[in-house]
This record gives sequence, C-alpha cells and structure tokens, in this order.
Amino acid sequence: MISIERLSKAFDTARGTSHLALSDISLDVAGGEFVSILGPSGCGKSTLLYIVGGFVPPSSGAVRVQGAAVTGPGPDRGPVFQEFALFPWKTVLGNVMYGLLEQGAPKKIAEDRARALIEMVHLKGYENFYPKELSGGMKQRVAIARTLAYGPSILLMDEPFGALDAHTRTGMQHELLEIWERDRKTVLFVTHSVEEAVFLSDRVVVLTRSPGRIKEISRIDLPRPRRRAELLVDRRYQDYVVAIEKLMDDPAEVRA
Amino acid sequence: MTFTRRASEIAIGILPIALVIALWHAIAASGIAPAVLLPPPGAVFARLIEQAGSRQFLDNAAVTLYRLFAGFSIAVVVGVTLGVAATGSKAVEGIVKPLVRVLAPLPKVALYPAMILMLGFDDASKIALVVADAVFPILLATYQGTSAVDNKLVWSARAAGCTPRRALFTVVLMAALPSVLTGCRIGLIISCIVVFLAEMITSTDGLGYLLVRAGRNFETVDMFVPLISISILGLTLNAAFNALRKWLLRGFAEES
Ligand SMILES: Nc1ncnc2c1ncn2[C@@H]1O[C@H](COP(=O)(O)OP(=O)(O)O)[C@@H](O)[C@H]1O
Ligand SMILES: [Mg+2]
Repeated sequence: MISIERLSKAFDTARGTSHLALSDISLDVAGGEFVSILGPSGCGKSTLLYIVGGFVPPSSGAVRVQGAAVTGPGPDRGPVFQEFALFPWKTVLGNVMYGLLEQGAPKKIAEDRARALIEMVHLKGYENFYPKELSGGMKQRVAIARTLAYGPSILLMDEPFGALDAHTRTGMQHELLEIWERDRKTVLFVTHSVEEAVFLSDRVVVLTRSPGRIKEISRIDLPRPRRRAELLVDRRYQDYVVAIEKLMDDPAEVRA
Repeated sequence: MTFTRRASEIAIGILPIALVIALWHAIAASGIAPAVLLPPPGAVFARLIEQAGSRQFLDNAAVTLYRLFAGFSIAVVVGVTLGVAATGSKAVEGIVKPLVRVLAPLPKVALYPAMILMLGFDDASKIALVVADAVFPILLATYQGTSAVDNKLVWSARAAGCTPRRALFTVVLMAALPSVLTGCRIGLIISCIVVFLAEMITSTDGLGYLLVRAGRNFETVDMFVPLISISILGLTLNAAFNALRKWLLRGFAEES
C-alpha cells in the first residue's frame, strides 16, 4: 500500500547550514495495516508523515502509494494533526462537509454524509457549533470526521491525541480502533506514547534520536478487537510495552 | 447581563464625545473665543438639522460618501489581492515587497497635484488619493496575516482535493480574516480623513468643499456643519464595520 524507499530529508537552517532530519528510512506498510511510529521528540516523525502526505518534498528517496510516486497531497491520504487544524470560520457541519464539496459532491449528498459522520463520532447536536465552542476531544473528533468524509484509504495521524487529557485519550483510542475495525483503512500513526502504540498497532516502528533512522520494527501479536481493560492485565501486552520502552531508553544508536 | 454590558459599553463610547461637546459649549459660553469664531454647539447642531433637509447639502454629502466608498472599496480589493498574492507567490512577493517599502512611507498628498493633472478635478483624483492612502495598511495587514497562517490548515484543504490557488483564497485568506479586517478598519478611517482632505485642497463639491467655502466666507457655523457631519459619518461607518466584523469573525477566538 505504502512503500517508503530510502527516504532522507535535510532542512536548510536559518544559519545557512543543512540539518538532517530523516536518514535512509525504508518501510513498507500493507493495506489495512495499522503502523505506529515512535521516537524521541525532534527525531523526524512529523516530517516523515508530511512527506508521505505529499505536503513536504523529500531530499532523497521516494514514497509510493499503490505503486504511484507521491508528488503532492491527494484525497487517498487523509491527515489528522495534533493541533486539529479545523477551519475556524466553518461550523462543525461545514468542516465535515468541506472535503466532500471539494470533491464535487452535490450539497445535499455532502450534508447527509457529513451528518452521518458527525453522528458516528458522537457529535450529534453539535452540527452548528463553531470549533472554538468545543473541547479538545470534540475538536479532534470533528477533525477525524472531516478527514474520513472524503474517503481516504490511508490515514496519516500525527500525535492526534497528544493534546488530550488521559481519560479523553483512551476513549478516543477505542473509538479510532472501532472505526478502523469497521473499514480497515491503512493507518500511519505517530505518537510518543509506547502504550498507545502497542495498544493500537499491528507494528511499531521505533526511530532513533535525530537524525531519525529506523531502529527497530516490532510486530504486535495481540488479538483483536482489543479492549484496554483486558490488555492492561495481559502479560504479552506488558512485555511489549516494557521491551519497547527499553528500546527507546537505549542510548546506543543503530549505525547505518 | 449582556444587556447591561452593552449599555455600559455605549455609555463609555458616548462619554468622551459628550465631554468634548460640553467643553466646546463651556469655551463658547465663557467668551474666551468670540462667537463669530467659535459658535456654540447648539447653533451648529441646529444648523446641521436644518441642513440635513436641504437638497444641496445632501448632494454634497452624497458626493463625499461616493468618493469614500469608491476609494475604500478599490483599496480593499487591491490591498487584499496583492497581500494574498504576495503570500502565495515568491515572484509577486519579490515585486510587491520592495514596492511597498518605497511607497508606503511616502506622503501621498504629495502625489495629489500629479493625480489632479492626470485624472482631472473630478471624482477620479479624489478617489485615487483615498486609494493611495488606504491601500497600504490593508495590504500590509493582509500580507502579515496570510503569511502567518498555519500550514496545516492549507494541508488539510489540499488533502481534500483543493488546488493551491483555490486554497489561497478559500483557506489562507479566510484564516487570516481577523488580521485582514483590522487592516480594512484602519483603511476605512484613513479613507474618511483623506476624502475630506482631498476635497478641502481642491474641489467644487463634497463636504470638504463646503467647509472651505464657508471658511472663506467667514460663515463659522456653516464651517462646523461639514466637520460634525464627517465625524458622525466616521462614527457610523466604524460602528457598521465593527458589526460586520463581529459577524464575519463569529467562529474565531475572541479578541478585541
Ligand atoms: N520546516 C522546517 N524547517 C527546518 N527544520 C525543520 C522543519 N521542520 C522540522 N524541522 C526539524 O526537523 C527535525 C524533525 O522535526 P519533526 O519531524 O517535527 O520531529 P518530531 O515530530 O519527531 O518531533 C527537528 O530537528 C526540527 O527542528
Ligand atoms: Mg511532531
């Protein structure tokens, strides 16, 4: 589905030097797979996601989605950002309808579909609210609905629950898994929470400190559908979390 | 509660105006300034009400209003378009930025004689002066506002299928609306001042002309009538603009 080939990214800094953010990343993600990317802050997780999204060009290497090279954004890849990035001048309904209208859907159909999505993310009754009138968790539900609206087969989620309190966060994790179980989108999910990554993912990719390289990829063989309450007492879940925590603490960097 | 707040806001808004009128009345009554030079406010307002029914006065007010709106509208269209274009295109930015740097601090009145020679004594030269003065604050506010818009808003739109050029006006400009409208408000106030100024310098009609004519004929009461009229006009336009702004920004986070 997604094929990342020897990807590197260097930024020009304000001091005129070049700063290597990502180095030689190769990763294949299968259709319907849920892959998390873990790594210390500043290791290039967001940058990797932006490159896959086509928002930022790579310095070298390439990203292919279903065989076609990524040259820019497209409705096959829907982003969800930590900062929600909702349109403040649009209501909840307006935000969710946005992508459908951009895709050329007739207004009536767009509205019906948007209302159904709003109901699916448990925001029925808030259609005419503005984003500023919603809590963080509600905003992120709107953002997810806005992205799901135009039917991307890939979700690119950059610490989507990072700005939420712990309780809201676990609730949102369950809701995301429910949505994912239902229509099996391919998900690339950036987080810095090991527990979140293990709970959600089929595979967890751990990146090294900056410049980000792939340190290790762990397959999470836990049964689905997953329930947090059950997993917390599951020995295998605990082992995964501990092993990956250790990996992240490990100061020894992988040499390319 | 909102009612009392609204009422007290109005009171605070009216208080300084009432004070100025009271001071004016006190000075006129005290005889420090002879009544021929400084007529009492009562006489001026009585004359204003009388004039408000006269065809000739209304025609002159309409002329001023037309020049003001024509100039302000052109300034908004030109300023906003150039500001957005400068954010969207490096080439436009390369042309607009140095041009603004040279032209913005220039006293535009200095260009007025040239405008009269080129455009004649009629509306066009006055409108041109209004545009020249009002366009820069609008352009600068638009450019600053649009260049500070979060990339993620644009990316969210681009992923949904919006083209870069469309995103510039449907997303970047909309997201920068608070800043753009602040620039427009400054532009509106400047337009009020400049249209009056242009009519005072050279004109055969308009409120500014009425003032100069009355002054030449030593009709002090008639001199104050256009002055009060333009003040009332400015206050009314400002209030109308604020109401429009409040409505347009209803989704944006509260700010004064
Ligand atoms: N637009 C940019 N210009 C320059 N440097 C950048 C830019 N975006 C990110 N970087 C740098 O690239 C590195 C990786 O950033 P990022 O992908 O945001 O990390 P993460 O998401 O893992 O915290 C950081 O060192 C950051 O300073
Ligand atoms: Mg990040």
